[in-house]
Amino acid sequence: MGNFIDLLRNENMKIYSRPRTWIMLGIMLVIMLASDIIAVSVGADTKSMWEAFMLQSILGFNAVVIYSVVIAADSVAGEFSAGTIKLLMIRPWSRSKILLSKYIAIIGFALFFFAALFVWNYLLDGIFFGFSSGTVQEMIGEDSTKNIWNYMLSVYGLQLLATTMMTITLSFLLSTVFRSGGLSIGLSLLLMFMSGTLSGVLSMLDKPWVDYFWFMNENLTQYLLPGDYDHTLGFSLGVLAVYYLVFIAVTWTVFNKRDIAS
Amino acid sequence: MSAPIVQLSNVTKRIGKRTIIDQLSLDLHAGEVYGFLGPNGSGKTTTIRMMVGLMKLSGGEITIKGNSIQTSYEKAIRQVGAIVENPEMYKYMSGYKNLIHFARMVPGITRQRIDEVVKLVGLQARIHDKVKTYSLGMRQRLGVAQAILHKPSLLILDEPTNGLDPAGIRELRDYLRKLAKDEGITVFVSSHLLSEMELMCDRVAIIQNGKLIDERVISQEGPALDAVSRHRFEVDRPADALALLKQHSGAIVQDGIELDIDRETAAWVNAQLVSAGIKVYGFRVHTKSLEDQFIEVTGGETVG
Repeated sequence: MGNFIDLLRNENMKIYSRPRTWIMLGIMLVIMLASDIIAVSVGADTKSMWEAFMLQSILGFNAVVIYSVVIAADSVAGEFSAGTIKLLMIRPWSRSKILLSKYIAIIGFALFFFAALFVWNYLLDGIFFGFSSGTVQEMIGEDSTKNIWNYMLSVYGLQLLATTMMTITLSFLLSTVFRSGGLSIGLSLLLMFMSGTLSGVLSMLDKPWVDYFWFMNENLTQYLLPGDYDHTLGFSLGVLAVYYLVFIAVTWTVFNKRDIAS
Repeated sequence: MSAPIVQLSNVTKRIGKRTIIDQLSLDLHAGEVYGFLGPNGSGKTTTIRMMVGLMKLSGGEITIKGNSIQTSYEKAIRQVGAIVENPEMYKYMSGYKNLIHFARMVPGITRQRIDEVVKLVGLQARIHDKVKTYSLGMRQRLGVAQAILHKPSLLILDEPTNGLDPAGIRELRDYLRKLAKDEGITVFVSSHLLSEMELMCDRVAIIQNGKLIDERVISQEGPALDAVSRHRFEVDRPADALALLKQHSGAIVQDGIELDIDRETAAWVNAQLVSAGIKVYGFRVHTKSLEDQFIEVTGGETVG
């Protein structure tokens, strides 16, 4: 039959031919620029470009997750509300493959925004604070002998894996099950922003099952520095993987089984 | 007749305890325009959704060129082009990008084919504009374009004349007949616009409450010259007229009489009436329209 790459090209065309995608990117880049300008103009005590880089990355991560959730929420629900799902599904492709092409395109979107964030911050901070090779110590103010690029890419990677992928996948699940973009965005972001508070509350409960909650295992970047943690990186990744597989299974099952009667 | 291109056998759809479609069987042949008539809520769209795989069957079987829509979906659907309900396209993209989108999903559609189809539906001037700027008629044309891009053997159109102006309806009708005749495409059209179906279709099926209640051939040529048909004469003295023509069985109707006679006899009857001093205001062949028949078989249920 056909070529799967063509399905991906279609999904990408639908994401990148909408002005909103470029507006979201523009807003993110302008915020990063503005934060550097403010830091310089108030004469902030920024020791090196890497200190600014780390702060801005954390700010940027939230933006990327929110944007990705918007795209993921709209991916399936948007086709239903516009009615285009009917024309999309009556092609010689299985429902699973069409859904997969959508999912991969969303992950591609998140990767693209992460890459843009990384490159833009590196350039901006280099220009404003002077390019330097830097150390992890400069970046986060803690004593560490790790290689800076290694550390930085790990931060980006773990951020992508834990918060971003999990939130995107949840949003995609809600979008498919409820066919409502608004509900999907709302619930996903609610969970994302509540996770810190919820894990605080849950950790006060002295019960063993608390460890298996999604929120308790979301902060993966902490494991990059030596310290005394409740769990190991492997344990947290394992817990997240179980949630991830359940999300994926539910999404695909529901999408394959349901009649399309919008 | 050749083997059917599309076969619906005992197709049943139940949602919860309600039976939406009940044991529906239809055979569609190559190159025919097949009308699917029914009052609103009779199950037309549900049947179409099952034919294109958007809904699963609760029972029965649908095959398209011998491929089951349930077990070899990808092969079966390759033969189908469809518009289900409204032609909803991606409004934020141009018409051309929409066509590229659907063309990519079936292997072997070239840019030339896209251009050819655009020309065929007469959208050349506006194809690079965003779909949100299109009128309903233009969206309908774009809908037809995406449905025929991959040269399907079966074209399914759900209420295709919705929102078209009279010129557009006529154009679509001529175009569908041409597709069926020249390219041997089977066209399956649903509608509740009966007069439309009468002009467009070779055969029609009438469904009501999910059941097939009638299926009939529609003659496009009109009755043969020597065929006996019902003629209505408008005259001033119906009783006298009928007495004069007692060798023909006739009936008195409102302001005139009706006789079952052929064309030549009708002219002769007219001469007889006039020479007997009965005023003839006019006479015409009184055919039952599809609408009359439809009301008759569905028991006068409202038809949209």
